[in-house]
Amino acid sequence: MEKTILRGRAWVFGDDVDTDLIYHNKYLAETDPKKMPQYSFEYYPGKEHFAKEVKPGDFVVAGTNFGCGSSREHAVYCLKYAGIPVVLAENYSRIYYRNAINNGYPVLFIKGISQAIKDKKIEDGDELEVDLAKGEVKNVTKGTSFHGDAVADLEKDIMAAGGLIEYLKSRAGR
Amino acid sequence: MGKTMIHKIIERSAGREVKVGDRVWCKIDLSTARDFGGANCVLQFLDVTDRKGKVWDPSKIAFTFDLQAPAHSEKVAVNQKIIRDFAKDQGIEKVFDINWGIGQHVLLEHGHVKPGDVILGTDSHMNLLGAVGAFATGVGNTDIVASWFEGTNWFRVPETMKVTVTGRFAKGVCMRDLLTKIVGDLGADGMFFKAVEFGGETIEAASLADRITLCSMVTEMSGKVGLIMPNGEVLNWLVERAGEEVRDRVKALAADADAVYSDDLHFDVNRLEPMTSCPDAPDNVKRVRDVAGTAVDQVHIGSCSNGRFEDIEAAYKVLEAGRFKVSPKVRTIITPSTREVMRKCAAAGYIEKFLDAGIVFTNPTCSLCTAEHYGVLPSGDVGVSTTNRNFIGKVGKGSHTYLMSPMSAMATAVRGVITDPRDILG
Repeated sequence: MEKTILRGRAWVFGDDVDTDLIYHNKYLAETDPKKMPQYSFEYYPGKEHFAKEVKPGDFVVAGTNFGCGSSREHAVYCLKYAGIPVVLAENYSRIYYRNAINNGYPVLFIKGISQAIKDKKIEDGDELEVDLAKGEVKNVTKGTSFHGDAVADLEKDIMAAGGLIEYLKSRAGR
Repeated sequence: MGKTMIHKIIERSAGREVKVGDRVWCKIDLSTARDFGGANCVLQFLDVTDRKGKVWDPSKIAFTFDLQAPAHSEKVAVNQKIIRDFAKDQGIEKVFDINWGIGQHVLLEHGHVKPGDVILGTDSHMNLLGAVGAFATGVGNTDIVASWFEGTNWFRVPETMKVTVTGRFAKGVCMRDLLTKIVGDLGADGMFFKAVEFGGETIEAASLADRITLCSMVTEMSGKVGLIMPNGEVLNWLVERAGEEVRDRVKALAADADAVYSDDLHFDVNRLEPMTSCPDAPDNVKRVRDVAGTAVDQVHIGSCSNGRFEDIEAAYKVLEAGRFKVSPKVRTIITPSTREVMRKCAAAGYIEKFLDAGIVFTNPTCSLCTAEHYGVLPSGDVGVSTTNRNFIGKVGKGSHTYLMSPMSAMATAVRGVITDPRDILG
């Protein structure tokens, strides 16, 4: 069982973060997921240094409609393989949501985080404590907390299997 | 209780009754990948099957080369070769190489799309095939690879938003302007996870090209798919390409009169004006005349949203009204969506006139949807484009793009500054 209480720094983004900001179309020809983190957020104004400075265990925090735009799965890989354990957003655009679930990459719907970002109640560098199982997010730096809703049952099963391919393989083997 | 189109499509494909919010496994009618994402799918499939895997049904898989066709770099060339080799090994015959054009359009022209089909593709604008009543959706490579196993995939049954459109477009105003207005009104998440049914007199009279424009931009509001049931000329066109079965599908899958919708919106286009998505987001919408006079460096007409013959013809008529001259200050590029569209432009004599005016007329491809193909903007440049996205730096770091209709784009090319096409058309 993976440890479910995680601690790390926040990297904070706004609403409607599109996939070109997460992983620019300039690098779409890349086919090795492990090489994708070097390009993360290169086009996000003010976050160009993300790829160089991010540390495994850091969190990406965002508002509504995270990952809108393109279908590129690169936008999931570039965060997953940078060691970001989970993206903490108010909600996720539908293709990004599928791509995350299909890769066994956790998704939590954090209530009120979009407004909290606007109100600067959560900022870059804040120390966060995240209980994935309970869906609780504590901002240790600012002494605030948030609650996140878990995903639906099928998505939980796919996540538990480690992703869609693993889920299908285990189902076929039954 | 009546059912919406997406409800009926999913029930048909899943083989059972469903309700909104259910997770269901649907049979996939067509699983497609492009030169972008396609190589990722192939490599992943080979990896997870220890290089021994066979796809479930080669006749239901298609590859299209459109984002970077012809290949502009060795890396892309290698990716395209990975796809060609895999298709050959697996007996996949639907390979539309670099000489065909934009995937969804090519598949549609070849009769591979019917109302009610469930279609996957590594293109977030795959759902423009909803213009003929297909449930097509853009997905990542894992979804494609999963579908190659057993020909199924998982879906959430969405709510349906109903959008009724009435009225007639005034001269110089078109479907793209309506769409831009809708994106501005609803915002980037205005159709969040929902299906949409477009109807009303304006839609029923609309060409296939206009229906494609409308459905392509559902993605820009985070919708799942925009659906229009084929009728009239569009139905006849589709039957000619995809066969008589299309008529039965239309009857079986039309929404019930008492279907339940999550939202019921109405737009009237009689007084609509030319609209534009200003930098740097599709939902940053103003009237073209509010930004008229803005200097631009490049105009691009094309893409899966506005690259049909009718779109290029509309631009041609503005050029004609401008005495076949574009401003020498502006680089103007036209990209047809498919070979068929390009042939029609040639037969109509348009290409010659465009070339004489100093316009670059390219092969059919996605072109300016990426900073990795031709037409990229340098930092500081302002572009006008009929593509569907103008996100920050999308076609070049430090550049900015206004999205608008082919008529507004050509009017801008003629004058060299953003121009309301009515100023030229009179």
